[in-house]
This record gives sequence, C-alpha cells and structure tokens, in this order.
Amino acid sequence: MRQTALLLLLAAIMPVVVHSQTVDRTKPPQTPPIPDFKLPSLYETSLPNGLKIVLVEDARFPLVTLRLAFLGGSKFDPPSLPGLSESTAALLTEGTKTRSSRQIAEELAEIGGTLNGASGPDGLTLAGSSLADHAPKLIEILADVIRNASFPADEVELRKQNRKEALRAQRSQPSFLADEKLAATVFGSHPYSHIAPTMESLERMDQKALANFRDTYLVPNNATLVLLGRLPGRQQTLKLVRAAFEDWKQKALPPAPKAEFPAGQRGILLVDRPGSVQADIHVGQLAVTRSSPEFFPLMMASTILGGGTNSRMFRNIREKEGFAYDAHSFLDTKRDAGVMTAITQVRNDVIEPAMQALLTEMEGMAKQAVPAGELSASKNFVSGVFLLRLETQDGLATQLSNMKILGLPNSYLEHYTSSVRSVEPDQIQAVARKYIAPGDAAIVVVGDASKISKPLEKFGKVTVTKAN
Amino acid sequence: MKVLPVLLLALIALGTLLAESAEFTIPIETHKLANGMRVVLSRDNTVPVVAVYVIYGVGARSEEKGRTGFAHLFEHMMFQGSANAPKGVHFATVESNGGVLNGSTHPDYTDYFETLPANKLATALWLESDRMRSLAITEDNLSNQKEAVKQERRLTFDNQPYNTAIVDVWPTLAFQNWQSSHSLIGSFEDLNAASVADVSKFFRTYYAPNNAVLVIVGDIQTAEAKKLIETYFGDIPAQPQPARPDLSEPPFKTRKEVHRDPLARVPAVVIGYPGPPRRSPDYYALNMVDAVLTAGESSRFQLNLVKGKQSVVQYEANLGWPFAGPSDYKDPGLYAMNLLYKPGFTGPQIVEQVQEEIAKIQKEGVSAKELERVRAFLLASRIRQMQSALSRAQMLGQYTLLDGDPNVINTEMQRLMAVTPEQIQEAARKYLAPDKRAVLDIVPDAKPKSSGGAQ
Repeated sequence: MRQTALLLLLAAIMPVVVHSQTVDRTKPPQTPPIPDFKLPSLYETSLPNGLKIVLVEDARFPLVTLRLAFLGGSKFDPPSLPGLSESTAALLTEGTKTRSSRQIAEELAEIGGTLNGASGPDGLTLAGSSLADHAPKLIEILADVIRNASFPADEVELRKQNRKEALRAQRSQPSFLADEKLAATVFGSHPYSHIAPTMESLERMDQKALANFRDTYLVPNNATLVLLGRLPGRQQTLKLVRAAFEDWKQKALPPAPKAEFPAGQRGILLVDRPGSVQADIHVGQLAVTRSSPEFFPLMMASTILGGGTNSRMFRNIREKEGFAYDAHSFLDTKRDAGVMTAITQVRNDVIEPAMQALLTEMEGMAKQAVPAGELSASKNFVSGVFLLRLETQDGLATQLSNMKILGLPNSYLEHYTSSVRSVEPDQIQAVARKYIAPGDAAIVVVGDASKISKPLEKFGKVTVTKAN
Repeated sequence: MKVLPVLLLALIALGTLLAESAEFTIPIETHKLANGMRVVLSRDNTVPVVAVYVIYGVGARSEEKGRTGFAHLFEHMMFQGSANAPKGVHFATVESNGGVLNGSTHPDYTDYFETLPANKLATALWLESDRMRSLAITEDNLSNQKEAVKQERRLTFDNQPYNTAIVDVWPTLAFQNWQSSHSLIGSFEDLNAASVADVSKFFRTYYAPNNAVLVIVGDIQTAEAKKLIETYFGDIPAQPQPARPDLSEPPFKTRKEVHRDPLARVPAVVIGYPGPPRRSPDYYALNMVDAVLTAGESSRFQLNLVKGKQSVVQYEANLGWPFAGPSDYKDPGLYAMNLLYKPGFTGPQIVEQVQEEIAKIQKEGVSAKELERVRAFLLASRIRQMQSALSRAQMLGQYTLLDGDPNVINTEMQRLMAVTPEQIQEAARKYLAPDKRAVLDIVPDAKPKSSGGAQ
C-alpha cells in the first residue's frame, strides 16, 4: 500500500502538461534523420616482443574490459587430441606457479572481476573485466595465468570428468548433433570439421599436452591485447601492460594448417534420434571469408533469406505456414572459410512441405533480384544491429578481438556500414547462385528416422546414421 | 582485538562499494496519463539509441483452468498486426529502421520491447500504441500462432532434456495453488481450445493502458518524448482494473518426485524453497544467501561441490528460477536451483550436499572477507548489466509494475550491500530448512523407441 501511495504522489507533483497533437495513425510517423555516431577511437601499439595492444577509453561505466586473443583455436588441435585448445583455455585460470585455482577465483571476485578462457575455431581468447579501480590487479592476474599456468593434475582430472558429462549433455541436444555432422561434411579433413572434444580425446588429455599447447601458441607474437573502458589513462595503462608483459619471450610459430576443403555434394544425412517430436534441419555449404569482396553481398543475402523476423524464412516458414518456431539462416565466417547455413526445426508430419519451402526460399534468392525496398530495409536492419552491438564494453571488446582473430584491418569496423550500404541487387543474386542455391549444399536432419526418412527421400539420397 | 582489522577492512570496503554504486544513479522521470498508463523516462544521451519497453500486468499466473499457455499464446498474437500496422508490419518496421524487438511471458507480467536508433522513437510509439488500441484478432492469425507456439513447445521443451520436467512437473511441487502450479507453456489441448473470443476478452481485460507501464530509456528529449507519448497513447480508453488472481498458498508441505527423462543423459536435481515477501528485508538477505552459495567461481557450490566433492557438474540458482531472475515473481515466489551431477552420485546425495552447504551458513555464518568478495562480485555484475539501455528499461518497468516504484533500480543495490552477516545467517535458517523443501529428481531414462538409438 505504501508503494501505491508513493506512485500517486509522484504523479501529483509531476502533472502532465503536454497536449496531444492530432496524428495520422494510418502511416508510420515521419522521423528526423539518424543521428551521427562515431566509433570510439582506437589507440594501437605493440611491445618489442610482438604483443599487439589496442586501447579504447570509454568512461561511461566504472568498469574495464579486456580480451587477450591468440591464433590458437581448435583449428590448431593435434588430430589425435580434438578439444586440446578448448581444454587449455578452460584450465589457464585453474592454477599458476603462485596461485591456486581457489586463489584466482577469490582474488577476481574481490575486484568484481571475471576472467575466462574460451576457444573458437581460430582463436583462443581470455576474456575479463573488473571494477575500474582494480584494472591493475586484473592485468596482473591476466599476465600470471597466461604466462604461468601450471595445469595442476587434480584440476586437469576434474575438468576432464566434468567436460565428459557436459559433452554427454550436449550430445542429447539435436542442434549439437546437427552442427557436428554438418561441420564434418562441409569441412572434410580440415580441422574445422570437429566442433568438440571426444570422450577418447578427453581421456588422453594431460598436463604435458596442455603445457605444450600453451608453450607453442600462447606467445606474445601470436597475441592481441584489447583493453577498454574507464582505463587509468593511456600512459598509465601502457605502463601496467609493459610491466606485466614486457619480458614475455617471443617464439617462432609453427605453420598454420593448410586450408583445403572438399567440394560440396548434395546428400541428406539423417541422424536417427528415436523419439524426436521434431526434425532439426540444417542445410549448409562452404562460402566466403570476411576479407572476400563477396562477403558483404553474401551477408546481405543471408540476412534477407533468414536474418531476423522480417526475413523470407521467418515470414514464410513460420508466420505464413506455421511449420516452425525458428527458421533462420546465417553466414558463419571463420578465418579460412565461411559456411552459409539455413536452419529450421519442424514437426515430423510437415517434414516434406517444410523442406520444400526451405529449398524454394534458398533457390528464390538466385532466381530473382531482391526488390529495392526489401534490400534497403535489410541494410537498415544490419546497420542498426551493428550499432547496438557496440553498446556495451563486452560488445565492443568482442568485435575488436574477433576482428584480430579473423585477420581483418581496423577499417573493417570503420567502413562496415558503408560496405553494407553499397551492396547492389545483382551482387546478391550472383553470390546466391554460388553459395545459396547451387544445389550441392549438404543437408543434415536430426530426427526420428522411422518417421521422417521416407518423406526425405524425395529430396535426394538419404543416408541414415547414428550420432557419434 | 584480533577481529578488528578484518572488520574495519570490511567496513571500509563497503564504503567504497557504496560510493561506486551511488555514482551510478539512473535518472528517472515518471508521470501518469489520464487513462492510467504509467510512464517512466530515463534520459541517456551517450549513445544514439532508444529502448522502448511496454510491460503489462498479466502473466501465466493470470490464466484460467482449461486455458493453460494462454498468456504466452496471446503474447504471440500481439505481433500479428493491428488496425494501422497489419500482419508483418511490426517486424518489418522495427527491423527496417535498424532495430531489434521481442516480447516475453512471465508468471506475473508480459513485456514487449524494441531498441532502435534514437531518431525512431515516434515509430516505436506508433507501433506500441496501435496494438494496445486496436489489435487485429482473426481466426487465421490465431490458428497460425497456435502452430508457432506448439512448435516452440516442441523445440524448447518436448525435444529437450530436463525442460519438460521443469516447465510441467516442477511447478506442481513448488506450488499448490493451481494459478502457480500449472504448466506455464500450456498443454496442446488447451492451446487448441483457445478461441478468437477468448483472445478478444483477454485483450480487453488486460491490455488496457491502466494495466501497463511504458518505459523509454536512451537518447531522448524529455519534453518532446512526453508530447509524443500523449499523442499516441493519450486517447486509448481505460478499462476496469483487472483483479489479481488469488495466488495465496496453503501452508507448504515438503514434496519430492522422481521424473524419468528419456532425453537426458546426465542426471539433474531441482531443489526449491518458498521465498520471502518481495522487497522485504528477508528478500534481500536471501538474495545474499544465494550469492554466497552460487555466485561466481569463488562461490561455495563452485568451491565445495564442483571442486571439493566433485559431485556437481554445473548449476543454476536464483530467486525466481527457472525464470531469469529475482524480479520474475511477484509474491509468492521461491528460491530454486537446478544442479547437473555426476552419474556416480544419486539425487538424494546431492540434495544432502546442498543442504550441508546451507547448514554451514546457518551455523557458522559468513566471514567478513567472504562477504566483501560477494558484494564486489554483485556490484560489478550489476554495473555490467546496466550498460544496456534495454536492461535498464526492463528493470524500470518491472519495478514500477511489480513494486510500484521505479526508483528501486537506484536503491536495491544499497539494500543488498547493507545486508549483515547476521541477516544472511537468519535468512538461511528461516527459509532454507529441509522441511520447507521441494525436490524434483530428473533421472535419465534412455529407452530407444525404434531401431538404432542415438547414443
């Protein structure tokens, strides 16, 4: 009751003095032009040992955020040890020569901090943040874990056991099973073809393999440090960075794995998951990287096909037909390759019309040029989402470190919006012919084979397989 | 004498933490339209973005028997078009102006939101007011969205491990009153039974301006925003204020159940306890108990169960679980958690281990040093969350609707930080006793139903 009274009081002391205007509700309102927004400025430098440094001062929130990114992702896993990069990343914060896992966790919590290692296809990244006043401590802990991680035997064993359980849980997810098979099909013998460790590789992982991976790839000449937020001034920040990393020794790097990928071939791989009430459909094929001139046209094509609620897949497969809750597509770009993927999950009894609708939408991208109105709407969407992703320190830090991992120049972010704006309908149609509709995309379906294999045969040869 | 330096240190640390959180005051301006719609404005000109958030005082706990899942089905209908923005226009307008949007259904509220470049404020208000005024409720849209919702159920629940147990079974253990204990996503039978007349009645009853709060956070000119709000929403008629359903619970009886889950591979156990009244001193104290037990890498569950006993693989916990946060339930709420554990252990053993951790707080309390750590962790997490205009808008809207006071956004951290070790100990004793506990054991039950069998 007291709270209600308070609200009434607020209303009483702030009487509404504005008057409504007459308005034409039948049309969207006229609005002023989009306000200017400049990306915060980047300061870049490097240490003599090759460590690249990017600083962005942004004082809005009393936080600092960092990324230390290495070219040391799962692509660099030895063939006998898939998941080594991931395990190395996860175990960096589980003990150093001078700090136990518990000490690291407690010291981080004391400064309102987090520090986590993670590994992607190309990069291994430590991501951290803390309250702004404690930036020096955060940098100190970062340097300790990256340079002195000791991979204690008990922590390694625990991580192996827990990762096995997590892997078991992942393997009960249909989307994981589909991602796994699609990557294996599209990437063939390239290391991008594995997306997770195996039970066997986890069993074989030990202190020695982890330390060896660390010593090979986690070296300063293979790293970029991104620091942003309410930093203690540029000179002071650089002083902290030098103190922490100046005497970190550089090392020659082994050559990166060669990028050789198989040619696409249409085929339907059906992963049997008895009891599934839905069929998870993933259609994918090899496409381009972000440095390719075809990237922006293909990214726009993918957005028009299945990015967001105004896309063709959402409008037709979900809103018009009601086949699915989720229907989307995306261009997943790694450093050496991209994959154009379309995904939807449909109920078993509509598998045939839903698959047909999906393939029709994909082919439609190549058949006709995208109408001007649809293209400009999609360009606005992509540019707006780009802006929104930079709202938080985490968002900006992720963009910057991904840029480095993918080998893109700084001008990539700067020119992102104008690159989007300059895409023409004929470019979209051309890339759609090559990467969306050529008919040799791989189709992976996860579902109950006894219910859906027959209707799928209409679309190509069906190979039924078990999940690994 | 020996404890003094530690205590002093803790007090000093608390002082600086409070200073950091005080620096962080969110500006709030509120007013109410003549039709009863509450408006909360918060200006932030640092990024040219605006978040528009409309929250309605209706949720899954407002549903009637035979209509489970209706609040959520209705949320879908809100995207199906209105008099001047027909089907597809809402999505198209927001996205083609560079924005993102969504809506979500919770036990006690339903919300709708979009974030756009700041020059598109009027566009968002046009869309939100048009559907509040004149939602297009047609047979076609309804049957189409029934399918979308059923697909959502299949995707998010029926085809996933754990989730069916959590959405359908867990509420029956946590609550006894049907309003709270029924499935919040609903059954296919009830979804099928929903008629256009039901949808229209629900719209009239609950989607009235006097049952809504509009929040705008971002790069706005306040006077101009007020004018636009009055223009677009001012003449939407008020409706009789809907009564809140009777959510009162009979005295809690301890309950447990074993659920066999054909899709799960790793066993899990859900544990919950009825919670204290929202925003009471106990509520803040129990939030601190939760933080001590489960927040971050140095929490007790992490150090003692994941690490020490090596029994738990991963866990989630909070007041409001399985929903996102403590703000989800207006009373009555609960404190609940879900733990995935290693097959070498049993559900009852995990429950025992959790209860032992709670007992340690009940008996020994929390040290000054540990409390200091937990406070710093919570404060930093909060500041991280506040970076996004949309999360500020969500908090402002939820606190206005559920607590009657948007300024809780500026006071709740201080109330949390001020919780004493004694209050933490007391809350653990009062709320987290074994006789106030509900337990749902989720046991993998993989029986291949046809040839093959995914392993």
